[in-house]
Amino acid sequence: MSSMLLSLLFLGIGLAVGFLAQRSRMCFVAGLRDWILVKDTELLVGLFSFLATVWLLTSVLTALGLLHHGVPEYGTAGDASDPPTVLAGQASVARLSVLQASVPPLAALVNRFFLASLVGGFLVGMFSVVAGGCVLRQHVLCAQGDRGAIWYLAGFYGAVVVFYVLLSRFLGWVYS
Amino acid sequence: MKSMRYVKPWIFGVAAGAIFVIADAAFPISPPSAYAFCLSCHVRDLVNTLLNAALGLRFQVTEVASRALLLTSPGVLLGAWIAAHLHGEVRLRAADRPVRMAVLGFLVMTIGIIIFGCPTRIVLRAGYGEIYGIVGLVGLMGGVAAATVILKRRWAAGK
Repeated sequence: MSSMLLSLLFLGIGLAVGFLAQRSRMCFVAGLRDWILVKDTELLVGLFSFLATVWLLTSVLTALGLLHHGVPEYGTAGDASDPPTVLAGQASVARLSVLQASVPPLAALVNRFFLASLVGGFLVGMFSVVAGGCVLRQHVLCAQGDRGAIWYLAGFYGAVVVFYVLLSRFLGWVYS
Repeated sequence: MKSMRYVKPWIFGVAAGAIFVIADAAFPISPPSAYAFCLSCHVRDLVNTLLNAALGLRFQVTEVASRALLLTSPGVLLGAWIAAHLHGEVRLRAADRPVRMAVLGFLVMTIGIIIFGCPTRIVLRAGYGEIYGIVGLVGLMGGVAAATVILKRRWAAGK
């Protein structure tokens, strides 16, 4: 597939999701927040319907042999000096699915990346609540003209440059 | 366009989930897996691809990013702008706390690079059945709950 078409595919996915996210006010952190604050379940139902759809479809398509990329394997392989191999890791391990359950022993899964995922997820959750929405919601707010979200995205994009100039050398530690 | 006034969040969930999984099955966008959508990773790949091309650097990108520009984030901005524009919902609003918002965006991206995901892709990876995605989702929900409870207490104390 040509790189032009592939780039347009990602643009198209973004367009569709952006359009639907604006119409539905979808946010991946506001669901739980609204439920705790005002017992409103609408966005939480959106989160769970997304999770259930992905789970069912990946399970069915994998069983039918139509989806054979497996699941991303993180935190188990990869030399500390070579994070890209971790990114590209392909073996299908640690998969919990509707049709096929193979759970490795928990002790084998608890490593630095396990803790990083747990703590990192926790911090992303806290920061997102303080910011008033997940990354997707900030994109939508930015497109609607919310200047706070524009500043959020400025920090978001800027962080990539800062990370790869200053911090990426410490990345290997997390995956070793 | 009356029927498009408001899309129920559950419809968004089903539609987005189906788009991501079917795109992964139908198009060569792997490795990495579960990569049809991520605002952290795709922005990282897009920025690094452009920097590498412009400045001759060798910042890390994923395999698929060497074959295409991951225009997901600009796509979301454009799609949301079109939707808001069609329904007269584009209005400029002043930034309440610009520095705080920029710092929050900075921190979320930094963590997102480390754990491979914005909140959307954490849920996507959890849906793929990947253990570390599920761990990330548990952490995410814990963080949301903790921050919400703290905010609620503060508001209660403020009143």
